[in-house]
Amino acid sequence: MSVPRFVVIALLTIAARPVFGQAPETPSTAPTNPPSATSSSAAPAPAAKSNGDLPMFDPHTEVLTWNGTSWNINDNRLFNARFEKYLNAPEETTAADKKYQKLLFTILDKLAPSKVGPGSLDEAFRLLPQASAFDNDARLCDSIADAVYSAWSAQNERQRLEKANDALKTEQKAVEWNAGMASQLPQIDAAPDAKNAAAQETYKKNEDIKRETRMQPYITRLAEIKALVLANQAKKELSALQAKIEFQSLCAQLFLQRRYQHVLIATRFYRNVFRDGDTTMRVGNDAKDLFAKTTGMPPTVGTLDSMANEAIRDCRESIQAYEFLLEKNELESATKRLGEGFVIGEYMPEFRTLPREKKRQALKFSQTSYQLVSALDVKDYALAEKLVKDLETMAHDFDSSKPMAAVQTATTVAGMHLAKAKNAAASGDRATLETELKEATALWPRNPALAEISGIIFKQADVQLEALDLLDELLGRKEYRRIYDDRVRFIAAAALYPERQKQLQEVLDAMQTIEGALMRAEEIEKRGDYAGAWENVERVYQKYPNDNRLNQARANLTTEASDFVKTLRTAEQLEKQNQPGSSLSWFLKAQSIYPGSEFARAGIDRQAALILPD
Amino acid sequence: MPRRASSKIHPGWIVVIILLVGLAISGGLFLFKNVQDPFRTTAILDTQLYLENANSLRGNTYRVTGTIRNFIKGNRTGRLFSVEVDDKGRSVLPILVPESLNKVNIQKGQSFAIRLTVDENGILHVEELRKV
Repeated sequence: MSVPRFVVIALLTIAARPVFGQAPETPSTAPTNPPSATSSSAAPAPAAKSNGDLPMFDPHTEVLTWNGTSWNINDNRLFNARFEKYLNAPEETTAADKKYQKLLFTILDKLAPSKVGPGSLDEAFRLLPQASAFDNDARLCDSIADAVYSAWSAQNERQRLEKANDALKTEQKAVEWNAGMASQLPQIDAAPDAKNAAAQETYKKNEDIKRETRMQPYITRLAEIKALVLANQAKKELSALQAKIEFQSLCAQLFLQRRYQHVLIATRFYRNVFRDGDTTMRVGNDAKDLFAKTTGMPPTVGTLDSMANEAIRDCRESIQAYEFLLEKNELESATKRLGEGFVIGEYMPEFRTLPREKKRQALKFSQTSYQLVSALDVKDYALAEKLVKDLETMAHDFDSSKPMAAVQTATTVAGMHLAKAKNAAASGDRATLETELKEATALWPRNPALAEISGIIFKQADVQLEALDLLDELLGRKEYRRIYDDRVRFIAAAALYPERQKQLQEVLDAMQTIEGALMRAEEIEKRGDYAGAWENVERVYQKYPNDNRLNQARANLTTEASDFVKTLRTAEQLEKQNQPGSSLSWFLKAQSIYPGSEFARAGIDRQAALILPD
Repeated sequence: MPRRASSKIHPGWIVVIILLVGLAISGGLFLFKNVQDPFRTTAILDTQLYLENANSLRGNTYRVTGTIRNFIKGNRTGRLFSVEVDDKGRSVLPILVPESLNKVNIQKGQSFAIRLTVDENGILHVEELRKV
């Protein structure tokens, strides 16, 4: 697994677990007084523990999966913010920056395996506080110095314990000798007669008791001494182990902080402080898994050292690639390479010294890219399309196919929904209108056409209300002619109101009848048949007496067919006066004038029915 | 030689004779006509007056001569016809031929001399009619 991948995973692990778990592998013999500096990190933080899955990064898709969530490392708010901050920051090329880097190189040089010795080790140690004084260092060199000092203190303690054990061993020898001497002291009482077996037995028992009583203090002391020696040996071992754990924790911490130069300094100090060749990292199981699964081998100080070196090389390469791609105006790739490298080598001198002018080219591309992502996220496809064009102009290698596919698909589908909405609006289908508008809005909320059509619809709504008010007024005044003349407007307005629609339909039917009668009358009039024309108009007039045009036509035709009309009127008048004979005579006269008269025929039938009932 | 008396008719006498013959023919025709009209003693219906105000004629009997124009309606009680009266205005009047006159064949276009009565509703009831 590559260093970048490991670093990304490690960074996320840090993010997920504020404290990197450190625990001795032999907790049963924990030191009496563990160092307070590491006490807080002596156990994994259970609160921050995930579901146990390690983060997985796919370099091909740049997608990182962890704890059931996947996201693109280039599309992460935290990363974006940090990256933008870096791109806007000035290059660190001041005299202080240069001096700081020179100090770090000097320390590394003095600790180099080919040059290191007791003198250079001390010199490197003395340079640590100087490096720590620089702001860029974040006092990490102080931490290394503290770790080295703690290790040395632990080693001193070990020597003190060894001396104590030596003293105890000397005392042990003296006690053993005294015990031996005590056991061989001459008998005080004379022995009884040998023939007296009982007296002999009693004498022997008394002598044994006396010897044991003399040796007892020596035996007790020997046991105490042995216990002290063993305790000191355990303390010595634990002290050394604790110092190693503390140092290793610092190394791992520096690595995960991506302070690779400090990792190299720390690991080189470690090797010189702990000369027993034991470089195995004593870290918690999670951390061990992290290192083992990403590097494929158990974690050691050497592993950290080599990975730090690899990371430094990778950073150098990233910057070289960025500058080359920048020259070729391939900003997309350049920005990606810089972003990838930045994840690993944010604190590396290659990154810190990159001129701001060069960084700002990537910044402009990044900002536009982020803007494009945001525009697509909020479905502002008009802006997205513009940004895609900007990016194409800006970077020759920008792949516009995916964003443009998203833009075009969304705009096309939204356009189709809008077209349906327009049709629905025109046909008064409110349900479809609402559904289609909703779909179109969901797909492309900032669609300019949406605002336009909404405006039209709202305007239509105003016009519709106005038209409905007028329709009600005209219906009230029975001005059907005005309704008929503006029928298209009223049909559209009343489309969503069934009651009004019914009223309007009745009016339009009436007007259709009136118009039909007028047209027929006009045709008949052209033939000179004024009575026939009048009768056509009159028949409709009796039903719809309020139409002006009909009234006008009726008045004109009454003049033209005055004899017939007068005759008919007289007949009707007499009919009303209940004079069927005279009335019938006048109807007959009217029929004589206009033989085709339906009015006369009807009048005749009515009067005949009166005279001769069925 | 003695002058013979003239044998020619005086032209004055010819004119007188023609006038007398004309008078004789006219008188004959007048007499023929009056003798021919069966209801010559009955007053002629004033159609204009009837049309304008039939109420004033109620209960009176009149005579008219006219041509049957149309059959309007008929039932057991009678038949209703329209008659075009031989007057100045060629008025068309309805006449009700009662059941008692059912034996009289009345057809469209036939001319009749009709004696009729104006009833209280202004209806012209035929009392008698003869083809002319």
